[in-house]
Amino acid sequence: MTLLEFARGPGLQWSLAIFALGVLWRLVGSFLLARKRDRSKAAGTSYVKAGLRAMIMRSAPPHELEKNIQFQHYSGYAWHLGFFATLLLFGPHIPFFKQFLGFGWPALPNTVVLVIAGITLAILIALVVRRIVHPVMKQISSTDDWISVFLVILPFVTGFASYAHLQIGEIRYEDLLAAHILSVEAMLVWFPFSKLMHMFYAFPARFQVGVAMEHKGVKA
Amino acid sequence: MSAVVDDIKKLRETLRDRGAEVRAPELPAAERIARVKATFRRKLDAEMATYLETCLHCGMCAEVCHFYEATGEGKYTPIYKVDPLRRFYRREIAPMGWLRQLIMRDINADDLDEWQKLTYDACTQCGRCDMICPMGIHITPMIAVMREALAEAGMQPAENKALAKEVLEKGTLLGIGPEDYRRIAAELKAEGIDVPLDKPKAQVVMLMSAMDAVLFKSAIAATAKIMNKLGLDWTIRTNAGDAAVFDWTSGDERAKAAAIRKIVSETVAAGAKTLIVPECGHGYAAMRWDGANVIGTDLPFEVLAIAEFVGREIEAGRLKVKALPPGKSVTYHDPCKIGRWSGVFDEPRNALKAIGVEVREMESHAKTNYCCGGGGGLVLNERANALRQGAFDIKRREADATGAGSIVTACGHCRMTFVAGAQNTNWQKPIESLVELVAANLA
Repeated sequence: MTLLEFARGPGLQWSLAIFALGVLWRLVGSFLLARKRDRSKAAGTSYVKAGLRAMIMRSAPPHELEKNIQFQHYSGYAWHLGFFATLLLFGPHIPFFKQFLGFGWPALPNTVVLVIAGITLAILIALVVRRIVHPVMKQISSTDDWISVFLVILPFVTGFASYAHLQIGEIRYEDLLAAHILSVEAMLVWFPFSKLMHMFYAFPARFQVGVAMEHKGVKA
Repeated sequence: MSAVVDDIKKLRETLRDRGAEVRAPELPAAERIARVKATFRRKLDAEMATYLETCLHCGMCAEVCHFYEATGEGKYTPIYKVDPLRRFYRREIAPMGWLRQLIMRDINADDLDEWQKLTYDACTQCGRCDMICPMGIHITPMIAVMREALAEAGMQPAENKALAKEVLEKGTLLGIGPEDYRRIAAELKAEGIDVPLDKPKAQVVMLMSAMDAVLFKSAIAATAKIMNKLGLDWTIRTNAGDAAVFDWTSGDERAKAAAIRKIVSETVAAGAKTLIVPECGHGYAAMRWDGANVIGTDLPFEVLAIAEFVGREIEAGRLKVKALPPGKSVTYHDPCKIGRWSGVFDEPRNALKAIGVEVREMESHAKTNYCCGGGGGLVLNERANALRQGAFDIKRREADATGAGSIVTACGHCRMTFVAGAQNTNWQKPIESLVELVAANLA
């Protein structure tokens, strides 16, 4: 079995299994903890509406709060959009999804995706630098943060290398492609153990805080 | 104003001295850690777990925290102030905790020493950070858990210990109790203001605040004037204890429960339908949001902040006020526990507008308001003087930028912080009480 065959076969299957089971385990384990009953009389009336509102409105904080965080705020959105655009709209990726889902979708021109990927990678690197030098980020960063950002950056680096058919010593194109796929699999394996889980927790948390604030009569 | 400042100074010194007297011998480190962990375990639920699972370490919460803004020190990042709770959750409660125990170290005694300062000296529980988190993490309730855990381990600041001891043993706060209530009522009676004490039955029970009794007796007089003007069947129960429920914020759960139970029991005994908390943000939040939870059943009465009550009565046309001549402008400082914690934003502003005052909003107001710097007990915490002043300076700059003639607020804690902060910085802006302003303009 070649490295590429491993990456496309057992590597992919195992990483997807660890991802799915790990995510499920972590979500169920935290959501099933007891919930405390709040007996105080509610000031607000519509919990569901408030929760749904917070799920959207947390994306756009009021100006007086946002003015100090504009770089983090917009760079965060930008790289997430770039990440998913590259993952889902890059021509060579679509057959991979089609093989699982049975259907595909139109791709963006490769040049466009390469520009998006390049910008995304640049933002991620800028955020790493910020994490190294900024007093808050230095204080609060953990091993999880470093591993997570490394594993998010790695598929971009290996992706660029394989797209460019880089000749690095004796390394063949197939090995670069295998490295690219394996880098994504590494991210999938790491996902349930890390802060990448915010993909599943963010909206429930936003909903919760919307409900909690509505209870107190505050729109937030 | 300088007399008030002297009184504030005396208050802090008295508390410091009393704190020195009650400084109990420290528990052994293992016992302190065990108590902290037991409290964390008791308090953690699915809602808090979701928040602790969600944090990205993006640091945005720091950028809206006045303590980080004032100092630029990363350790004042709000979510970092609950790091021991997060560490405990991740190791001992969370799914995959067994795995994390292999790589993540446990809480130790040094952590408790460090976080005691971060949670008590560098957080006013203002909740501004709760408004910004892009993940929706509600940080302030976790700060409360941190304080409760540290208090359980005997690690609250000495001043707080002294206050909790006083509440539990004497039922007074800052030495103010039933005798003082009677004295103040007699003094006000002599001024022609009736303060009905200990009526067996009344529709409305009003609480007394030690802060007002010591520093702002004028607020008590103003409140009584308004209640009498409305012709309400009201009373102050001298055994109800203090409005402040200081231990709601200090973390001493026994003292908090004792204070809340007394207030509930006296209000129920009076058969009151309404409990009105005077200008005291903590007291209002404690009764409004924790009253029912402490006694374990729904409260048989409504809890209102005096600012909320006055605003509603004016809006309903029951409380008639006269408009001031044009030209008076104010900026309204939302006490965090009345505003962001309890949604009371419009009522005080409507009351001000009704008396013909131009309300000029600060850039950060209502739900994004900056705390004055004295909330969460910081106003009485001498160790936090520099941090409190840094936070106050941010507030002062925003207030100055409005160009308003004075600052109005609806909390004695905030008022005290403003008065002391103004004195420290030679700031000439008058600080006014909402209830006093309304009472001075009754029609």
